[in-house]
Amino acid sequence: MSAATTSTSNMAGTRRGFDLGGALLTLLTIVAAAVWFFPLFWGISTSLKTDSETVKPGLNLLPESATLDGYLFVINNSNLPIWYLNSTITSVAVTVIAVFMAACAGYAISQLRFPGRTLLWYIILASFMVPGSALIVNHFIIIAGVKQLNTHLGIILPMLLHPVTVIVYKQFFDNLPREFREAAVMDGANEFQLLFRVFLPMNWGVTTALAIITFIGAWNSFLWPFLAAQNERMMTVTVGITAVQDTFGVAYARVLAGAVLAGLPVALAYILFQKRVTQAITLSAGIKG
Amino acid sequence: MTYVELKNVTKRYGSVEVISNLSLGIEEGSFTALLGPSGCGKSTMLRMIAGLEEITEGTCSIAGSDVTNTPPAQRGVAMVFQNYALYPHLTVRQNIAFSMSLARVPKATQNERVDSVARMLQLGELLERRPAQLSGGQRQRVAIGRALVRDPRVFLFDEPLSNLDAALRSAMRVELAKLHQDVKTTMIYVTHDQVEAMTLADKIVVLDRGEISQVGTPLELYNQPANRFVASFIGSPAMNFFGAQLQSVENGVTSMTLPGGHVASVRTRSGKAPSGNLEVGIRPEHLKIVNAGDKSASFNGTISIVERLGNSTILYVDTAAGPLIIEGEGSLDAKSGETVGLMMDSKHTHLFGADAQAV
Repeated sequence: MSAATTSTSNMAGTRRGFDLGGALLTLLTIVAAAVWFFPLFWGISTSLKTDSETVKPGLNLLPESATLDGYLFVINNSNLPIWYLNSTITSVAVTVIAVFMAACAGYAISQLRFPGRTLLWYIILASFMVPGSALIVNHFIIIAGVKQLNTHLGIILPMLLHPVTVIVYKQFFDNLPREFREAAVMDGANEFQLLFRVFLPMNWGVTTALAIITFIGAWNSFLWPFLAAQNERMMTVTVGITAVQDTFGVAYARVLAGAVLAGLPVALAYILFQKRVTQAITLSAGIKG
Repeated sequence: MTYVELKNVTKRYGSVEVISNLSLGIEEGSFTALLGPSGCGKSTMLRMIAGLEEITEGTCSIAGSDVTNTPPAQRGVAMVFQNYALYPHLTVRQNIAFSMSLARVPKATQNERVDSVARMLQLGELLERRPAQLSGGQRQRVAIGRALVRDPRVFLFDEPLSNLDAALRSAMRVELAKLHQDVKTTMIYVTHDQVEAMTLADKIVVLDRGEISQVGTPLELYNQPANRFVASFIGSPAMNFFGAQLQSVENGVTSMTLPGGHVASVRTRSGKAPSGNLEVGIRPEHLKIVNAGDKSASFNGTISIVERLGNSTILYVDTAAGPLIIEGEGSLDAKSGETVGLMMDSKHTHLFGADAQAV
């Protein structure tokens, strides 16, 4: 009994005091989250307001009477379904092709020995340092030259450049124990079988994570689709909603309803695949430094 | 009949030569162990036979045909890796059937052969599990099953038991020995564990720094080590070594003065007269405890440590020749601090010349 009492008093003696630093950090995090979240909340809230309420003076955080009029108007009076389709086609194509190519390139650079391998690797590393927007004029000239402006192919092709995905795959393949490769080689696997039947299936998590961030990046991209798709029926959602703004002037509820609809698939992807998105960001974080 | 043959094989990584002009023949149906310390080139040799490492110079042939430039899958060899290398995304059945699946063998045949191997290795209940759900021993059996299903001409094992605990390792040794008795296929087994090599192999190749030190049966290596390296590497506790001064050589008997002044006579194995510096080697079980000052004692010394292992007792005795290890019976009456005499069994005393070769 006395031993138990001593133990309890020792525990009380070692209990930590109030952690002021931790509390301040928590407060700072909450403030940062609120600052980040407020525009999102404000946009969704406004999209559910009536036109008159959106221009009403004062701070109205929540709609007085929530309405879907803004959403219905955008869906019924714009090319949103077509833009959605265009975004889906381009984003899915970019995701599938870019991830496939990155897996093959990462595998080749990591596992195969061929002349020029190191040079190729440096070129990929160097291309990672060039911002996409710096190449946009070249892309425009090339795509216009081959008469692919206002086509899905024209939008897709320049968006397939994803050096970071190649780098992530290379690092992943580099870190696999060589015995897996050797066991498969002894079993009679060729390079394609090694990649698609052993290496990739061993950790689909990497591919899924990369596919999700590639899809999100492709869906959210604006600058290149804006240049490549001048015809309204070839526009993607992100480009199309700028047309909504032009059409409806200062009808904030409609504009924001369009923006919410445009961001919906990405938001869903984030919510559904939160863990994978985090994994992908972690995988590429080391590379981005 | 030689089944696997390495002829004048050299392996270089850049300017570093890890195997130098090595030749070795392995008989059909034998269980051969490649034994040596880390970095001696034993795994490299195995990987060259498997085709996983290119041979810089020389040739490798299996069953009479040169396979030096043949891809691994076409050599008719199967390999069991140290870390098993089981594909984590496949079930045990899929792992075992993987090579057949790649070769597009009909599903029914695949299942039939997997079931047959599973029966032999007692894997029947584990077939639908994934490697992560298996114990170390079970994974090892699956790895063997994956090799077995290919019906290879030669089995290659690269330290397959080193990741298992002592009890499981001992059990798996028995299973491997039984497997060899059953399939009678040529097996080449790489290990740095002399117990594995001694218990499993009918021939041991001892390697040292990329060169073959000695080839022989386990008992040949134990009783007649060709050089100091083999003598020191084989046997646990290790052989005792100490220098001695050569006195005379007559009729193949070498007389020498031991540290401490006693004179000992040993019949040289080759009958050749040793010259220069002599080194004496004697195994711990060939040194007997006698009374201190006994006429038959080669050394007198003080027991520093007594280790009781039940079936044997290990003594560490400080002598004029340095600390010597003695292995006696489990019931040996000895206490640390006690002064004792040590008698060498001259029939089991080994002599090594200045070039570290046995004489």
